Amino acid sequence: MTDEELKAEVTAWLAANWRGAPQRTERFGPDPRAEWLAKVRDAGWAAPRWPKEWYGRGLSDAQARIVESCFAEAKAPGTGQDRSNLWANTALAHATETFKRQIVPQLLAGEVGMCLLYSEPGAGSDLAAIRTRADKVEGGWRVTGQKVWTSGAHIADYGMLIARTDWSVPKHRGISFFFMPMRQKGVDVRPLRQITDETHFNEVFIDDAFIPEENLLGNLGGGWGVLQTALAYERSVMGDAARGARSGAKEAHGDAALLELAREAGKLSDPLVRQDVAQVIAWRMLNSLNTRRAKAELKQGTSSSIMSLGKLAMSRILHEEGRVRTELLGPESLLQGPDHPRAEDANFLSLNAYFTSIGGGTDQIQRNIIGERVLDLPREPEVDRDVAFSAVVAGR
Amino acid sequence: MTRAQRRPWERDACMTQVMTHEERTALRDSVRRLLADRCAETDVRRVMASDTGHDDALWRELAGLGVAGMLVSEDNGGSGLGPVELELVMEEFGAALSSAPMISTAMAAMLLDGARAQALAAGELIVAVAPLGVHDWTGQSDVRVAGGRAEGVARFVPDGQIADLVLLAGDDGVYAVARDAFSATSLPVFDRTRRLADLHIDGPVERICDGSRVAGALAVGLLALAGDQAGGARRVLEFTVDYARERRQFGRAIGSFQAIKHMAADLLLEAESATSAARNAAEQLAGDAADRDGALALAAFACADAYVRCAKDGVQMHGGIAFTWEHPAHLYLRRARSGAQLFGDSRHWRERFIQALEAQS
Ligand SMILES: Cc1cc2nc3c(=O)[nH]c(=O)nc-3n(C[C@H](O)[C@H](O)[C@H](O)COP(=O)(O)OP(=O)(O)OC[C@H]3O[C@@H](n4cnc5c(N)ncnc54)[C@H](O)[C@@H]3O)c2cc1C
Repeated sequence: MTDEELKAEVTAWLAANWRGAPQRTERFGPDPRAEWLAKVRDAGWAAPRWPKEWYGRGLSDAQARIVESCFAEAKAPGTGQDRSNLWANTALAHATETFKRQIVPQLLAGEVGMCLLYSEPGAGSDLAAIRTRADKVEGGWRVTGQKVWTSGAHIADYGMLIARTDWSVPKHRGISFFFMPMRQKGVDVRPLRQITDETHFNEVFIDDAFIPEENLLGNLGGGWGVLQTALAYERSVMGDAARGARSGAKEAHGDAALLELAREAGKLSDPLVRQDVAQVIAWRMLNSLNTRRAKAELKQGTSSSIMSLGKLAMSRILHEEGRVRTELLGPESLLQGPDHPRAEDANFLSLNAYFTSIGGGTDQIQRNIIGERVLDLPREPEVDRDVAFSAVVAGR
Repeated sequence: MTRAQRRPWERDACMTQVMTHEERTALRDSVRRLLADRCAETDVRRVMASDTGHDDALWRELAGLGVAGMLVSEDNGGSGLGPVELELVMEEFGAALSSAPMISTAMAAMLLDGARAQALAAGELIVAVAPLGVHDWTGQSDVRVAGGRAEGVARFVPDGQIADLVLLAGDDGVYAVARDAFSATSLPVFDRTRRLADLHIDGPVERICDGSRVAGALAVGLLALAGDQAGGARRVLEFTVDYARERRQFGRAIGSFQAIKHMAADLLLEAESATSAARNAAEQLAGDAADRDGALALAAFACADAYVRCAKDGVQMHGGIAFTWEHPAHLYLRRARSGAQLFGDSRHWRERFIQALEAQS
C-alpha cells in the first residue's frame, strides 16, 4: 500500500466513523471512550505497527505515523497505542498466550482499569528491595504484602504487580511480574489524600490474594526484566505529557496557553516575561523533538534508556511552567478554587509537577540511570546488590 | 528628624527598651515554647480548617507574653521593643506556620496611639492594614477617601476577615475604618495558614495620622514577613535533613547519596542567607541606617526566594511521602508561595534593591 492509499483509507474511515467521544480526564481506571476505542481496535488502527493477529496492520513506523497524523488532524483518539499504551505493550511482549488473548483487546479499548503495584513503604527508589511475597500454590500464586502510592488502585481491575518469588537469590533476581486481579477478597485499597487535595493514589494491603497461573509475565524470577520494559513505557508516557490542570484538560497548558496567559496578564511586552515564557516553550519543543527522535529508534518490546531523558525534561518543564504562571498571575496566584481557574491551574501545576519529578522514579534516580546506562559511567556501589535477599532482610 | 518620621521605638529614646542578647534569647525561647505547645502541626491543621483561620485563645496568650504589643510603647501598655526583637519572634512564627495576625499587628503598632494601641497590645483589638495608592502592592485596590468617608475595595488584606478595625494607609494620611463601615470577604486562599480578605469599605473614616508614618509601617510588615520566611526555610531544611538521615534505600541512608547531600548543602546556603538578610534588615531598620531601604529590599526577595526553594526541594528530597496531604512539607510550600506574593514579588524587590544601590552611588 502506498502512503497516499493509506492516508485515503484512514481519512475515509474516520469520516465514516468518528463522531466525537467523551474526554478522558483520568489516567487510570476504565476509559470513558471505550466504545470508540473498540471500534478503532477492530479496524486495526489502535496499534498499526503490531502484526495483524494482534489487532495491528504490521505497518512500518513511517506509515504508522501517517495513521497517527490523520487521527490527530481529526482530533480522534485511540491510535498510536503501540507506542503509548504501557499496559498493552507490556502484556503483548511478556504475557502468556492465554492471558494475552484475553487482556490485550481489553487493554486496547480501555475496557479494564489498571494500576501499578510496584512501590512499597520500604522500596521506592530501591524498587528491587520489595518484600511483597508471591508463593506458589495449586493453579497460581498467593500474594501477601503492602504497596503504596498506587495511583488508580481504587478503580482498577488489574494491577501490574512485582512480588518476590525467590528469597534465596540477590534482590533483582528473585522478583516476578504479574497481572493481579484487584477485585477480590484479600486486596484492600485505602485512599491517600494528596497535596493537590485529590485522592488518586492509595495504599494497597494484600493479604493472601490469588493470582492465576497464566497471569505471570515473563519467566518466574525474571520480573525485573519485564519491569524494565514497563518502566520505559511509563517514563516515556510521562515524558510526553502531564496533566496541566486539575480538570485534566489538555488545552489548559501547553505553549499557546502560556503565551495567552502572558497576554491576558498584560505582560507580554515585559522583556523578562518574554524570556521566561520563551524558555518554557523552548524546553517543551526540544523535549518533543528529542522524544520523537528517540522513539523512531525504539523497536517493539525493547526499552530505550534515551527515553528517560523525556521524563527528566518534562519534570523541569512542569516545575518551571508552574513558576512562570505564578509570576504572571501575581497576587491572583494566592487564590484557589473554581472561581479562580487561572490561579487554580498555576497552583495545581506547581504541586502536581512532583507527580512527574517523583512518580515513576525520581529525578535523582533518572539522572543515575542516564549516567549509568546511557553515558556508561561507573555504577554507584550498591552494598546489597549481590547478596541473597533473605540475608539482606536478616541483616536489617 | 521630625517626630512623625521616627519609629515608635524612637519616639522617646529613654522609653525604648534595649534588650540584651540574653533577654532576646529568653523572649524567643518563651515564644518557641508556647508555639511548640499550642501551635503544633495538629493545631495548625485545625486552624487551617476553621472558618476564621484564627486561634484567638493563643493570640491572647501571645499578647500576655508581650508579643502583640512588642512595638507598642510602654506608656501604651506595650513592650516598647524594636525591629530586632520582632524579626526574631517572627522566625518562630514562620517555623511553626503560625497564623497569628502578627504582621498586621506589627504594622498597626506603627500607626496607632492611645487607647487603640493599648487594646492592640492586649490582643483585644485586631487591626488590618490596607496599603493604598503608591503603597498598594496588589495593584488592584481602589478606595477613595473624601469628606470624612471612604468607599471602595481594598484587596488581599491580611487578617481582614477577623479585623475589628481597618487602617487605610496612603501617602496622604492614615484613616481608621470602624467595624460597621466595612465588610470583609474571606478569600479562598491557597495557603490556608495565611488568610486574606477583600474589604468592601463604605462609611465614615477617621484620620489618625499623616502619611509620613506609612513607610515605617510597611517596612515593619516587610521585615516581619522576611523573618517568617527565614524561620520557615530553616525549619523545612531541618526536618528534611532529619529525614535524609533516617530514610534508607539501597541499604543506606538517602542522605549518603550526593544528589541529596548536595541539595541539602545548597539549601543550607539559601536558608542561612535568608536569615542573615532578615536579621541585617532588622538591625538597619532599628539603627535607621542610610541604606535601610536596600537592606529591606534585599531581605524581601532573598527570604522569599530562599523559602520557596527550600520548601520546593524539601518535597523532592522526601519522595512520595511528601506528596501526601498528611505530611507537613506542602504546608510550608504553600506558605512559601504565599509569602512570595505578599507585599510584592521578588522581581519588584530586586528592582527596588538596585534602585537603592543607584541612589547610594
Ligand atoms: C503522584 C505519585 C504517583 C505515584 N504512583 C505510583 C503508582 O501508581 N505505582 C507505584 O508503584 N508507585 C507510584 N508512585 C511512587 C513513586 O514511584 C515513588 O514515590 C518513587 O519511586 C520514590 O520512592 P519513595 O517515595 O520511596 O522515595 P525514596 O526512594 O525514599 O526517595 C527519597 C529521596 O531520596 C532520593 N534517592 C533515593 N535513592 C537515591 C539514589 N540512589 N541516589 C540519589 N538520590 C536517591 C530520591 O530521589 C528522593 O529525593 C507514585 C508517586 C507519586 C508522587
